[in-house]
Amino acid sequence: MSWLLRRNMLPLHSNSLARRPFASPLPLPPASLPSPRETHIWYVVPDELKDASLLYQYMELLSPCERQSVLRMNGERLQKGALLARALVRTTLARYTDGRLSPKSFKFQKNRFGKPEVEWDKYDLWAPPPLQFNISHTSTMIACGVTLDLPIGIDIEEKQRKTSNNILSLAHRYFSPVEVAYLKTLADPECRQSEFIRLWTLKEAYVKALGRGFSGTPFKDFTIRLEASNSKQVTGELKSDAPSIVVEAVDDPGILMNRWQFALFELNNSHYTAVCMERDVKNPADGENNSLKLEVWRTLPFVEDECVTETDAVKNIIR
Amino acid sequence: MASISATAKSIPTRPRHSLQAVNGIFGLKSVSISSLRRSFPSIRLQPTPMRFRVCCAAKPETVQKVCDIVKKQLALAEDIAITGESKFSTLGADSLDTVEIVMGLEEAFNISVEEESAQNISTVQDAADLIETLVAAKSG
Repeated sequence: MSWLLRRNMLPLHSNSLARRPFASPLPLPPASLPSPRETHIWYVVPDELKDASLLYQYMELLSPCERQSVLRMNGERLQKGALLARALVRTTLARYTDGRLSPKSFKFQKNRFGKPEVEWDKYDLWAPPPLQFNISHTSTMIACGVTLDLPIGIDIEEKQRKTSNNILSLAHRYFSPVEVAYLKTLADPECRQSEFIRLWTLKEAYVKALGRGFSGTPFKDFTIRLEASNSKQVTGELKSDAPSIVVEAVDDPGILMNRWQFALFELNNSHYTAVCMERDVKNPADGENNSLKLEVWRTLPFVEDECVTETDAVKNIIR
Repeated sequence: MASISATAKSIPTRPRHSLQAVNGIFGLKSVSISSLRRSFPSIRLQPTPMRFRVCCAAKPETVQKVCDIVKKQLALAEDIAITGESKFSTLGADSLDTVEIVMGLEEAFNISVEEESAQNISTVQDAADLIETLVAAKSG
């Protein structure tokens, strides 16, 4: 068991994965790193977890501090959600280390604004990939987005989510004037409801990508909207005439914050999902579509992974 | 941020709730001691203007009213008990829940909560304390 005293590093040879002291039914299949314009999304549906022994396995992956946090959640449902969220983050990140790091070995820290990030150890013969991640959850889904070295924010919301307060009251209070005006143009209450939720997820994703917290990037200070295509601000050639999602400061309208790119789509037919990622300026696109690329997997860690990118589980994508 | 807790320390034997009476008499407000015990390194530690809070615990009825609003907003199961000690994060409130709760509280108590104050609330008790401060400020 002496290897446990080191940093829980797995031996390099894949056949020795089977001899790890802590047993899991299947090792995690390694995944290829995201490319510069890609966000990888791994999501888990808590209701799909029927095997209670899995919960014990997931608990094994957590740090003592994380375990305590999970157990402090109020009630079993919230505890299970919190546990799955940590297990999803750890197993997802581990997939990108080519078998070198176990889910259990990851350490996390918070940036000065409280955004969680990986705290990487230094290794002599290997440089870990500079992964960045963000998670979001509802009671019925937990999603983890991963990029290679680019800030990312993700937010999911149940499509059916209803607000206790009136949509326009909420919008007047928290959204920018341009966004409020947009919502007012929608006469149908259901349409207004769903557009509110979608806009909320976009704004959340942006704030989480920036990593300065809700109060560091007040919702009222920025507008997210659709910009018509063939505008000068979007670099690279657009293949379609589809409008793109842009963000601008309320105080500086017309100056789009090009650093950030978005994707908004429906996941698993149940959730609106927004992703915000910093544009990779080190690797500009060679004349091809410069918009954010997505790869999406549905997972139940150690049990099943399914790539759902080109399926019905990911639809109505707007970028 | 240096804490200005001298006012509180000079009256060591008085129970917390009577500070309100003392402060009322002298027109003073002291920095909340409770803000010092927060060791959570979150966005709350960003530089913000010094905020003075009346250092007293809210009435039980206020706490109960907050519990009711929170329970309704989060649609919690019947067996989930909420008390003043309950933290919003452990009740599973996301950011949309939080803003809805703040708006619900504003409506119920006829007050207006600033964003910075809202960010400093981590428990039901914090919310109740803030509400009473704002209600007192309105009528005072």
